[in-house]
Amino acid sequence: MERGTTLALVGPNGAGKTTLLKCLATLLRPSGGEGRVCGFSLREDADAIRERTGLLTVRGYVYDELTAEENLWFTARMARLGLSRESLRAELERVGLDRAADQRVRTFSTGMRKRLVLAQLRIRPLELALLDEPYAGLDTQGMALVDEYVREFRAAGTTVILASHQAGEATRTAERTAVLRGGKLEFADHDRAAATHLSAHSLGAQDR
Amino acid sequence: MSAKSKPAALLGLVALAVLLAGSVVGLFVVPADAAQGDVQRLMYVHVPAAWLAFLSFFVVFLMSVLYLIQRDLRWDRVAASSAEIGVVFTVLTLALGSMWGKPTWGVWWTWDPRLTTTAIMLAIYVGYLAIRSFADDPEKRARWAAIVGIIGFANVPIVYLSVIWWRTLHQPPSSPRSVAPEILWTLMLNLAAFTLVYIYLMMRRIRLARLEGKLEERVAYHG
Amino acid sequence: MDVLRRAWAIVWKDLLIEARTKQSFNAMVFFAALVLFIFSFALGPDTELLRRVSGGLLWVGIAFTGILSLSRTYQSEETSGGIEGLRMYPGDVRAIFLGKLLGNVVLLLSVEAVLFPAAAILFQIEMWPHALELAGIALLGTVGFSIVGTFYAALTVNLRAREVMLPLLLFPALVPVLLGAVNATTLVVVGDVMQDTGIWLRLLSAFDVIFFVICIWIFPIALEE
Repeated sequence: MERGTTLALVGPNGAGKTTLLKCLATLLRPSGGEGRVCGFSLREDADAIRERTGLLTVRGYVYDELTAEENLWFTARMARLGLSRESLRAELERVGLDRAADQRVRTFSTGMRKRLVLAQLRIRPLELALLDEPYAGLDTQGMALVDEYVREFRAAGTTVILASHQAGEATRTAERTAVLRGGKLEFADHDRAAATHLSAHSLGAQDR
Repeated sequence: MSAKSKPAALLGLVALAVLLAGSVVGLFVVPADAAQGDVQRLMYVHVPAAWLAFLSFFVVFLMSVLYLIQRDLRWDRVAASSAEIGVVFTVLTLALGSMWGKPTWGVWWTWDPRLTTTAIMLAIYVGYLAIRSFADDPEKRARWAAIVGIIGFANVPIVYLSVIWWRTLHQPPSSPRSVAPEILWTLMLNLAAFTLVYIYLMMRRIRLARLEGKLEERVAYHG
Repeated sequence: MDVLRRAWAIVWKDLLIEARTKQSFNAMVFFAALVLFIFSFALGPDTELLRRVSGGLLWVGIAFTGILSLSRTYQSEETSGGIEGLRMYPGDVRAIFLGKLLGNVVLLLSVEAVLFPAAAILFQIEMWPHALELAGIALLGTVGFSIVGTFYAALTVNLRAREVMLPLLLFPALVPVLLGAVNATTLVVVGDVMQDTGIWLRLLSAFDVIFFVICIWIFPIALEE
């Protein structure tokens, strides 16, 4: 992939999109073959990859018993970012969580959790953002927020891979599309008609 | 028999022969111990078994370290084989020690440092084999097993020391009785026999492990 | 150092969560006290006997309780997406081991702070004059327990039969710690005529140092996917 571009990764449920993203995030070890992420080898320089890559999952890695701000502080600390409390609060404000900043995540709705996870990703200087089903469980406002973030990532030069089983969602902001089916990856340049075709027919398994 | 297993078969025969010789000598030729009587003959089996139990574990440790450094599954196969055989020798050691203890001290079990350490070593072995059964991926299995093998073995000397202190602090140490030469020779003979048996079993087991490994690969590839 | 700061962040997080939910602490204290109570019940009212075995009973209680809490060490991660969450961050994963280790030590020590006085009452022992020595023994023993425990907990975290595998792996490894802690405690309580406590303390210290080095060294391998 070209740096700074946005790719939509689509495929039916169970095709392995999450597995692929986790491999790229160095969470899973590939059973064979070679991979390079941001110019670093998956096998040898995993740490360098982790420095530059962020993964957004459906549930996200947040602790229910901590507040939004505490969760963000923890992320900042673990990612070795020297961010002040003010900048963290500012980030929470950007995602619309400023009023809930001191509430425990246990009380959050799905949408609020998603926003927090987005914030966790945003405070890190990433070269590659891996978003797994970022639109899941969000209302229109939430989805617009994700779109906005993807655009911001692109503006900042971050490469983005968006995985979704709903082709229409993912291809909205992406420049290219890749379909993962039966263990094979097929690239296609972004094309409105092709996207509709994909969503209606190729991903039929979950439509039936 | 294929050409490959000829050396193993030969070794097996030799091992059997030496074992037979050692048993005959130990049971009939060598005179019984003056103090303990015929029961003492159990030592000719108990001591070599104990020695081999320990040797097997050392091999597990060595192979575990080698595996973690080189990530070559061959080392893991040797380690696993040695662990299986080691368990047998360990159980044998404990059983024989127990059998010897009953007529000698009147009890089936004592907290003697060596016996206790051997029992704990058995627990560590079992843990080693147990954790192997939980991984399907050969590399993950080898990795976990290697870790358990290394830590387990590192613990054995410490356990031994602590049990010795536990049992013998301020008790006079038992003075080593001088051993008659023919007893020593019989012991050596049986030790050699057991070692040959170990090597023979290892050769067989490793070959089996190699075949199992190939089967695993094929299954994984074809799904 | 970077590893220490991240380890500290993990300790802070775990203790904060524990302080807010009090899940582990309460259960641990209750369980350990129950164990002590049942043991003394089973052994009968012979006060002299109880005094002599008090060290053993105390540490058996601590060991059982400790194992309970160990399997939960990584459970707080499970509800938040698994230990993957921590592994995703750059930097030495040993920070995770250090952080979890410290968290376990603090939690277990705070349980012992309740347990020792409870044992003093149940077994009619004079602990106060020896408080400092007992604290030292408790520290060395708890650290030893937690080092091996935290390590094996990480190894078995994804196993299906974790509840069985963890004790199976842990107890043989803990024999020196238990022997050292029990004997030292008993000697302090019953009276150390021959000044043997020093030997046990040295055993505990040696164990702690040796296994800390080994475990923290190979921890990254234990956590590999």
